[in-house]
Amino acid sequence: MGGIVPAGSSQTHVELRGVTKRFGGTVALDSVDISVRAGTVHAFVGENGAGKSTAGKILAGVLTPDAGRLLLHGAETAFRSPRAALDRGITMVAQELSLVPSRSVIDNVFLGIESRRGPFVRAAADRFAELVAEYGIGAEPDANVGRLAVAEQQKVEILRALARRAELIVMDEPTARLTSEQAVALRRTVRSLAERGVTVVYVSHFLDEVLAVADDVTILRDGRVIRSGPAADENRRTLIEGIVGRAIEAAFPTRRPRDLPAPVVLRARGLSRAGSFEDVDLEVRAGEIVTLAGLVGSGRSEVLRCIFGADRATAGSMTLDGRPYEPRSPRRAIRDGVAMVPESRKAHGLLPRRSVRENVTLPHLGRFVTAGGFVRTGGERVEADRATTAVGLTGATIASVMAELSGGNQQKSLFARWLVGRPRLFLADEPTRGVDVGAKRGIYDVLVSLAAEGMAVLVVSSELEEVLGLAHRILVMRGGRLVGELDGAAATRTEVMELAFGAAA
Amino acid sequence: MSPGSGTAVRRVRRLRAADFGIVWVTVALFVLLSRTSDVFLTAANLRNVLDQQALLLIAGSALTLTLISGHFDISVSASHINAAIVTALIVNESGSAVAAIAGGVAIGAAVGLLNGVVVAWVRINSFIATLATSFVFYGVGFLLSERSIIRISDRDFSQLARGRSAGVTNATWIAVAVVVVFWVLLERTRFGRHVFAAGGNPEAARLAGVRVEGIVLTSFLLTGAAAGLAGALSASKTLTAQPSDDFSFVFAVLTAVIVGGTSISGGEGAVWRTVFGAFFTAFMLNGFNLHQIDPIIQRLIQGSVILVAVAADNWTRSRRSA
Repeated sequence: MGGIVPAGSSQTHVELRGVTKRFGGTVALDSVDISVRAGTVHAFVGENGAGKSTAGKILAGVLTPDAGRLLLHGAETAFRSPRAALDRGITMVAQELSLVPSRSVIDNVFLGIESRRGPFVRAAADRFAELVAEYGIGAEPDANVGRLAVAEQQKVEILRALARRAELIVMDEPTARLTSEQAVALRRTVRSLAERGVTVVYVSHFLDEVLAVADDVTILRDGRVIRSGPAADENRRTLIEGIVGRAIEAAFPTRRPRDLPAPVVLRARGLSRAGSFEDVDLEVRAGEIVTLAGLVGSGRSEVLRCIFGADRATAGSMTLDGRPYEPRSPRRAIRDGVAMVPESRKAHGLLPRRSVRENVTLPHLGRFVTAGGFVRTGGERVEADRATTAVGLTGATIASVMAELSGGNQQKSLFARWLVGRPRLFLADEPTRGVDVGAKRGIYDVLVSLAAEGMAVLVVSSELEEVLGLAHRILVMRGGRLVGELDGAAATRTEVMELAFGAAA
Repeated sequence: MSPGSGTAVRRVRRLRAADFGIVWVTVALFVLLSRTSDVFLTAANLRNVLDQQALLLIAGSALTLTLISGHFDISVSASHINAAIVTALIVNESGSAVAAIAGGVAIGAAVGLLNGVVVAWVRINSFIATLATSFVFYGVGFLLSERSIIRISDRDFSQLARGRSAGVTNATWIAVAVVVVFWVLLERTRFGRHVFAAGGNPEAARLAGVRVEGIVLTSFLLTGAAAGLAGALSASKTLTAQPSDDFSFVFAVLTAVIVGGTSISGGEGAVWRTVFGAFFTAFMLNGFNLHQIDPIIQRLIQGSVILVAVAADNWTRSRRSA
């Protein structure tokens, strides 16, 4: 419990003062003050989107603040790039590792800082051995990095940082992809780094881990620092309370009462996909909005993708409107009346170079084609217009090129895509990610009206307000399993978070 | 909202003008050559340029489709050569021009089908896959022809490509028809929409219910068939067919497609672009000859023009996404 006496003194290593960072219309950090002591492990905690990763990235020069100051050893400084931060001894081990998989461990560790003799790279074996001895982190120098397990790759990434004489390492969700044994091993590594005088900023939403490894904890919520202090003063409950805070009322449409008993549209029994989620039982009724809550990586998106046929379930069964439903492809799912707005609209949703009209009608062209396969653009335009009007597309038309739309309008277009058809089951994964506040309300209105028209709506969301504000029922997932169900109208933020974090408190 | 949308509209207009760059430079080159050469703007010269571009346009229209679907097809040369050989063999054997052309198109389609299966289902990178199938079919060409030039004995068979209506060769008319077919296919049909979707964002297309594999396979099939038609017409034009392992035809076709502005990364492009790309390069070569420019210098200029075209395309593209 941070019980080890910090090797670091009370000397401040790095400090953020009044730092503000905006992304488009959203404020990720709002005048934040954080002070990190040298030679300590300092955890940043908060729910998804609280600003903890953003703060870490600003320290490491990955992001530059819009306002505020950064002090390194008491002197004001500014990092224009990760490179500039590294020159001053600060680097980051990101969630997505940045190694060269086809090269050896030793090549990766010294990549870009090879010591040279003329044009030839000098054997780095001695340097590597020194590094391993100095920090007590072992790795097989000649192993091919691509063949290593994630945990080993992470060590290589840390060694790489140390080889560059990093004095402060920012780790962003370092255990998100590790097994629990590997996570314990990583904690030991982190502690040993601190004992050897390296400062570690540890960004994580795993509270037990934070309590076990950190000397200091900073709690962030909605881009603000709630408090910052010794980890020894915190426990699970105090952390959760700090992370959740009081409910902030966002603009939500009024929850419509369900006409119970409404028929069950989707029923899943024992649905599993090896490696992603297990034994999920759920039901969504006509006219009902169910939200699927949980931490990032808890298997929520994967459940949605299986229901939509984007991935295949490895076990379990589903029914749609009481009939057996086995989606072998999104194409079949769409034909059976299922729609999905995917998690990443850029990667999985949009055709950026095509018009809104073409994007919106893509799954439904069959309705507009003649026997010869020609698209009747007249009817297509009418439908695209109707659907985009229904979702409240503003400041753009169906002739606009998708890439030129705002995030909110792009997202609304993806909703419009499914309104051209008449889906029975509407799946939405992070429906308001990267969308400004005004467009958010518009999207909530759409979801509520879809349910009011009798569709079954299943929403994955990492935003607690959304989970609470929209849902008739809330299902919570943790570690690939459904761990609880809450009533949408009565549930509190703390209840959801306790289920999501697995509070035994 | 109003000031923001105002700038958005202005930006859109400027980019639209940049989108037609290939049209402006082709027109400019046309005007330049008309003024600097007495021969350029004569009916005979222009008719010649048209006829020379016919085969390239037939294969190029189809290759545009494949590039938009996100893939390369290097085997256009192999299809072209094999189709000429098969056409020549059938004419000499049966005397039927229709059967001969059908045979040429069929062998091209067979190459395309093989490419499509290998790329869409086996998921081998299309550049590598079609390079490999090229070598296979170059070999097939040598086997079919028994390693020698085949001469077509029926001289009337040349009428198929060289015969004229309204003063223009049949090959040109066929090219016009093929261009129109592919243009309409791409711009007006569901299949065309799916081609753009599959090339622009394959995963998004799949999640919108597009059968991406089927679209890719069909694109290769059509490109093979079109290259086959081009090969059959070349047999008619020259009354010979010769086995070889020469990639020059596909590179000429690719040059036209890319100079026209169809993106090599997929999802963007148009058949009309390939038409302009073909005429731009054709006018350029024609101008070189009319002005008697050293063939070595011609190559230097031609290569530089391709670099400039692709660089300009990249530049407008990066500005658009910024």
